[in-house]
Amino acid sequence: MFDLMIVYSVIALALGMGLGYLWRRKKRINLDRTTSVTIILLIFSMGFSIGSDNALLASMPAIGVNAVVIVSLTVFFSFVFVKAARKLVKLE
Amino acid sequence: MIKHVLAALAFGVFAGYSNNRFGNVFPNYFVSYYVFNACLVLLLFVMGFAFGADKEATVKIRKAGLKILILPATVALGSVVGGIVSGLLLRIDLIASAAVSAGYGWYTLAGPLMGQMFGSEWSAMGFAVNFLRELLTIITISVMAKVDKYAPVAFGGATTMDTTLPVIVRYCGSDMLITAFTSGFTLSVMAPFTIIAIASLR
Repeated sequence: MFDLMIVYSVIALALGMGLGYLWRRKKRINLDRTTSVTIILLIFSMGFSIGSDNALLASMPAIGVNAVVIVSLTVFFSFVFVKAARKLVKLE
Repeated sequence: MIKHVLAALAFGVFAGYSNNRFGNVFPNYFVSYYVFNACLVLLLFVMGFAFGADKEATVKIRKAGLKILILPATVALGSVVGGIVSGLLLRIDLIASAAVSAGYGWYTLAGPLMGQMFGSEWSAMGFAVNFLRELLTIITISVMAKVDKYAPVAFGGATTMDTTLPVIVRYCGSDMLITAFTSGFTLSVMAPFTIIAIASLR
């Protein structure tokens, strides 16, 4: 999705950071519940777009196993390398 | 949390699939575009807010300094190695599987680009692998954040600058916001170049 979304995302993030900074001295608010609910909704809509994508669902049986193997190993090695690098440069 | 995530995903897939069978275009576009993006923007705002309000976060980032650039470099290296190893294991085109992994989770890029370089079956693969990477990052985050604070950033690859960023901050703490964003941004910039560079080896 190469559209305005990335612009909106950055604006939302920057706006949040600015307001949060101004909020610093005031009392703490707990946002955990709000974020959990929104994350669930986000994942539901992700599932929705997978479910309604016929081309993706149709290609799954043919390439599914390979894709799962590739993605698992990709993620695994990324993690191992990051773990090793953290030890080397002592990233906290 | 992971139970809720899996349930929401399964329910979403089911709802999307049944909606599609009835042939309704509007709910599909509404949910998978507007609801998705609205949630994302809201989450990013909330997480930015949490970061801004967190006094220790900025101090921690200043301490890490340029060292956070090591993160995307190692994620990139790890991804490509993972692609090569899986190519060896599955006995498929090594170069193509390495290139697929070099999408770092950016499926809207990897799909079309892989199609251009390696043909349409690899386009589907580029899409599937990188989409699964994003999905896997979100699904496993509550577990992986406990294993290692940096694990979700390694998992997320390029997606840690937008889609998985709020979820990472939620589970790994607000001091991870800049780290995750920088890593995701750097990997997003690197993705097209690495895919093309790997493809040119053939």
